[in-house]
Amino acid sequence: MDVNDKTLQALSAATKFREMRQEIISSNIANKDVPGYKAKRLDFEAALARALDVDGQMGMKAEDGKHFNVGNGGFNNLQPEVYDDPNGVVSEDGNTVDVQEEMAMMAENKIMYDALVQLMNKKLGLMKYTINSER
Amino acid sequence: MAINNITQMNSTLKNYGVDNWSKTIELNNKMDFRGSMPDVNEGSSTQSFGDFLASSIAKVNGLQQDADTAMQRLASGESKNLHETLLAVERADIAFKQMNQIRMKVIDAYKEIMKMQV
Amino acid sequence: MDLLKSMKISASGLRANLKRTEAINSNIANAQTTRTAEGGPYRPKKVVFGSEPARESFGEILEGEIDAQAQTVHATEVINSDKPPVLKYEPNHPDANDQGYVAYPDINVMVEMADLLTAQRAYEANLKSMQITKGMAQKALELGK
Repeated sequence: MDVNDKTLQALSAATKFREMRQEIISSNIANKDVPGYKAKRLDFEAALARALDVDGQMGMKAEDGKHFNVGNGGFNNLQPEVYDDPNGVVSEDGNTVDVQEEMAMMAENKIMYDALVQLMNKKLGLMKYTINSER
Repeated sequence: MAINNITQMNSTLKNYGVDNWSKTIELNNKMDFRGSMPDVNEGSSTQSFGDFLASSIAKVNGLQQDADTAMQRLASGESKNLHETLLAVERADIAFKQMNQIRMKVIDAYKEIMKMQV
Repeated sequence: MDLLKSMKISASGLRANLKRTEAINSNIANAQTTRTAEGGPYRPKKVVFGSEPARESFGEILEGEIDAQAQTVHATEVINSDKPPVLKYEPNHPDANDQGYVAYPDINVMVEMADLLTAQRAYEANLKSMQITKGMAQKALELGK
């Protein structure tokens, strides 16, 4: 059980992305009456799954010595994808924000964020327990 | 068989050995259960305690890896099963702590034995 | 840091909606005002919202594409609506003009009430967003406890 192990890094990266997602959702809600504002979405799941490569199936191997090994890299350079929601219903002033949907997304984001923090705590707690157990 | 005179008695005794007279041997032969018992834990009866410990540790490690995989799945959004992930993590946690307790007990027992004066 | 910026964005939403509520209250209160300091009936107020990318400092402008995507909202303008006033025939009114018509502001109180409800809902949504952001920050503080 290493302090730098993959799971902790993945949990930490996921927490960071969920914070970013909360920012985008807050922005959507605040701008819900601005004419012409398009609702935005933030996706990080694909990038994180690739970096994790849970099944060992998504990596691409470098055959030629001159090619760089892509995928399974570190968690430090992951970029989320921010884009305008293509399925937004455009209201008459050009605004595509649906408040109910944004609130639902915010609730789910919060629950998952709490779960991630709790899991990180559990992992760190187990490491501390090992260190502290006597004899 | 009725014994009418000493000659008959002698011949009877000669013809029948102790085995025929003794009922316990007969019962013993009839009551041999060993052949009919099912083979329970055939393997573990030959496994040493060291092997048993090693396989238990491997099981705990397996549970830890399952928990890790579940957490990674949850983080990347691959699985939305919150309860399954938390359950896997708890299981690994409990198994690890149990193993730790056993480790402490074994160490205590060792110390006890070393304290004994020969 | 991301969470603090979220709170800034939600705060800007609260502020903008508060301004909108003020304008609507002013309209409702002055629905019958025929005389103002500038002369003429009261002009209904309208608030125009605008978005602006959420930035905190110049240093941030140079880094982080993600920051450009989250927008704060400003009540950029409070304009006086230039809808022509409604003329009503009241010859005995002190503000009546030569033909006996009085100019009232073109304010429909029902429409203003509906707008008020919208503003209230928007305010509540922003408030909820800020509460959840605060909850996330507090949860993060519990790491390692």
